[in-house]
Amino acid sequence: MSKQRKATPRARLAMLTYHALMLAISAIFLLPFYWMTISAFKTNAEIFSDPVTWLPDPIRWENVTSLLTRDDFPFVQQFLNSVFYAGTVALLVCLSCSLAAYSFGCLRWRGRNLVFGLTICALLMPTIVTFLPVYLAWSKIGLTGSYWPLITPFLFGDAFFIFMLRQFFMGVPRELLDAARLDGASEFRIWWQIVMPQLRTPLIIVGLFATVYTWNEFFMPLIYLQDREAFPLSVGLFTFQSQRAVEWSVSMMGAFLTALPMIVLFLFTQRLFQRGLSSTGLK
Amino acid sequence: MSNTSFAVPRHISRRGFLASSAAFGTAMALPPAAFAQQEGQLLLWLPGGSELFCKIHTGLLEGFSAGASLGPATTVCGLGQDTEFTQSLIGAITAGNPPDISMLWDSPVSLGAQGAFMPLDDMMKGSKIPLDTWPAGLLSSCQFKGVTYGLPITAGVYSMWYNQEMFEARGMASDRASFPKTWAEMRKMSKEFTVWEGDKLISAGFMPNRVPETMAIWSALNGGMMFDEANLKYQIDSEQNIEMMTFFLEWLDEEYKGDFNLVDRSGNFLDGYPNSTTGMGPAFREGRQAGMQSGSWLLGDIFADPVPSFERWNLAANPIGPSGSTSVSGTWPNWFVIPVGSKNPQAAFDYLSYLAIEGSVEWYQQIPDVPTNSQVQRKAPAGLVEKRGQEVADDITAFLGEQAAVVTPMWNSPVQSFYTDQIARAVEKIYTKASPVKDALSEAQAATQAELERVLAG
Amino acid sequence: MPITAPIAPQAAPLLPRRNRKAQRAEARAGLFFALPWIIGMTIFVALPLIVTFYIAQTKFQIVGAPKWVGLQNYEALLRDPAFWKSAQNTLIFAAISVPLKLIIALGLALLLNRATALLGFYRTVFYLPFLMPAVAGSVVFMLLLTPNAGPVNIALEAMGLNPPDWLLDPKAALWTLILLSLWPLGVETLVFLGGLQNIPKDVSEAADLDSPKRWHKLVWITLPLITPMVLFNLVIGIIYSFQVFTQAIVIGGTTGTPAESTLMYMVVLYRAAFRYFNMGLAAAMATVLFVVVLILTLLIFKTARSWVHYEGGET
Repeated sequence: MSKQRKATPRARLAMLTYHALMLAISAIFLLPFYWMTISAFKTNAEIFSDPVTWLPDPIRWENVTSLLTRDDFPFVQQFLNSVFYAGTVALLVCLSCSLAAYSFGCLRWRGRNLVFGLTICALLMPTIVTFLPVYLAWSKIGLTGSYWPLITPFLFGDAFFIFMLRQFFMGVPRELLDAARLDGASEFRIWWQIVMPQLRTPLIIVGLFATVYTWNEFFMPLIYLQDREAFPLSVGLFTFQSQRAVEWSVSMMGAFLTALPMIVLFLFTQRLFQRGLSSTGLK
Repeated sequence: MSNTSFAVPRHISRRGFLASSAAFGTAMALPPAAFAQQEGQLLLWLPGGSELFCKIHTGLLEGFSAGASLGPATTVCGLGQDTEFTQSLIGAITAGNPPDISMLWDSPVSLGAQGAFMPLDDMMKGSKIPLDTWPAGLLSSCQFKGVTYGLPITAGVYSMWYNQEMFEARGMASDRASFPKTWAEMRKMSKEFTVWEGDKLISAGFMPNRVPETMAIWSALNGGMMFDEANLKYQIDSEQNIEMMTFFLEWLDEEYKGDFNLVDRSGNFLDGYPNSTTGMGPAFREGRQAGMQSGSWLLGDIFADPVPSFERWNLAANPIGPSGSTSVSGTWPNWFVIPVGSKNPQAAFDYLSYLAIEGSVEWYQQIPDVPTNSQVQRKAPAGLVEKRGQEVADDITAFLGEQAAVVTPMWNSPVQSFYTDQIARAVEKIYTKASPVKDALSEAQAATQAELERVLAG
Repeated sequence: MPITAPIAPQAAPLLPRRNRKAQRAEARAGLFFALPWIIGMTIFVALPLIVTFYIAQTKFQIVGAPKWVGLQNYEALLRDPAFWKSAQNTLIFAAISVPLKLIIALGLALLLNRATALLGFYRTVFYLPFLMPAVAGSVVFMLLLTPNAGPVNIALEAMGLNPPDWLLDPKAALWTLILLSLWPLGVETLVFLGGLQNIPKDVSEAADLDSPKRWHKLVWITLPLITPMVLFNLVIGIIYSFQVFTQAIVIGGTTGTPAESTLMYMVVLYRAAFRYFNMGLAAAMATVLFVVVLILTLLIFKTARSWVHYEGGET
């Protein structure tokens, strides 16, 4: 420590170089997002102006109101749909995956390793492999056009989140569970009253991840939903953009406002994201 | 570090957790499909979904339902327009819960031949819209093996658009009758307009065609065809088609430095719309392109932003290729189908009859998709009258009506999308010189014919 | 198997009866808790997988009933140039994008690990592309990379460079797609950063004293300690890069313009299913993808024994 303090001018120079480098890299990563944001506050003509303008001048705040009042892009409704979709999936994932993760992480039973191995296989399987039959089955029972096909699978669990949660469940001390068992607590009670409250943070982490993934999920809702009023934002944005005469500023505003809630969420919870991903080293 | 919080048992508010789960559970118990079709009430699906388009169709359907004493009708828009729309429709049909009527922007033949749409022939007999009231070339876009699976109620009609003021500035006659009658004349005239500044194309005349969907029109203009429906044989690599692509390729080399990339970097010379990926304005409207082939839908959009830099433009018949003898037109129709499983097939068909004759007139007034049934009394679009005057608007309307009667069949294959993608691939290979004309076309021919035979087999 | 859970030593037959009873209860509970997931896996993964293998051997045009055709779909695949072209594109994409992504993410994580101030800011910036809606992301890139008029080319030309036509040029389009895939690497970076932060202080400080050379420390101390994270990122990266879809279809459409240079495996699969209504062929493609991914991941896991280092010394 004292050695470092002596070398202050050099350390300071190193620090400056470091931040200059990091800011330069940040600029590259920010560019697409920045371009989307400024385009959202320009008119169509200004987006494509020559020479390029790097700041919207004037800032077209009216783009916000014009987006929110359109008939052919029910933004508010689709926003609520996204909240419902992501929220439901996050809740279901926390519940269903913690059941399986408790079993894999805290309980010993024959066949456990086999079932967990299969879970990893399921995690590795490309969605498209299983997609066609599932899609046809939902069609046959007449539930396409609703959120059922999008949400029901999470009632049973999800390989990735089970995997993630299991890493945390494995950290619960065995002695704690054994003590509860000696007291005569049922396994269900141990799970619900002892383990779940202890794993509050991991559960929130998994819920956050589920929220972000679902918010940006595109393929499944595109295929299953059949009504503009029912689309989540990810799909609404796409069908709006694919119209013949493209209104760039409106769709950029749409994209900006779609991404904004997730960015705010990330800003405030990034430590939790970090912790969730720290647990994923494959063992 | 990941174990720090385990030491202090904290309680999640389990009651709150359960309560919110219950709330979501209730929300999930909502009726599965928001728009289940019901007897006595029509349900219509539309691809695309611009505000005006939706409004017109909602109005037409509501007006009809009220007049026919049906229950309140529902119009669904904004489901996307390409594959994603088809996909939703297939899903609804497989589920046995389709709309009563659907508009399509893709030929109904592929799915019709698979049994997804109701054959309309029986209902058409003795109705207001019997078979012989439709232009044959157009109706064939809905027919396969003599069965009609849909109706091309209105259509965008393809013709040549040209900038009269640019013609006159070079001392050329700008009336429709003087427009080039052959490809050779058009190519010769085109050179007069084409100006390069280094590798930048400043202004251009006409361009060799590269739109895969309309290649069938150019083939017919050269006396050929892409698909011989009667014999179920593709003719993509026929002599006429090889001649056509060779002509286009030589044209590209002679006038446009053999490179469409240079053209595309200089502006949007492809169609009359702003480019959807680069935002570049249409060269035609900017007064940098003498003419192009376009669908009649541009009539409705040409006065919008970016406003043309000139006032007078006109439409003319498509010119004829070296081996061709007559001018033909082509269309991109708005097809209407009644999906299998519709609960109100008769009411749905009555609506189609109404739309074909009365409804399409009002539709054409606001969005210039040309009504195709021969009994329709077309009235010039209001916007066109306002900008160009009654006389020009009537003249253009009459011209489009004539063109709609001489369309060549171009949407009549049960493997339409496959064919279109193969043509797109071949055209790209030819223009980028990745493959000689004959090889590229033969490859497309073999693949498309094989796919056709696969689909038709058993 | 590297993916199995550590198993506590068991000596069941020697334990007293009460304990054995408790064990049985625990086993029952284990199965009970896993049951919903076992059911879910059966309904949504196992059964559909079997059905996909069945559909792959039928002619099935989505409407109507499937008809058994044996191996015809696989034969058709082998003859289909689009299959080979898209497989080639996808393999190139994966082979270049995945390692590059890992290297860059590791570099960023090493840099982030040194941050004292502004860590939260940098972390957010690197994660940001991942939070952008995929469709919007592709559209913005197309705007930025417009030849001639796009801001990137204007900037590069101002610097006296001769930038490519990016997505317009058949020779450059696939590389542009690879370049674009390098943006959303926030997850990979955070995974690595997590690994770096978990390295015990005494280990890294000991290394500081022992060998002042940074590269030496990176290769011999740091890298081995985060190999589990490398394995995770590698496997997930391969699976996702084989499934690249949204970017490819927004940029190249269903024909992979220009000149099929952006034609990806999933695009060909998707268009077979929903544009050509050829479900049999689509299912055949899905099964091929499944087998390839399975073999690749098994190979990775197999070799992983020799290069993945686990704490506690066991390999």
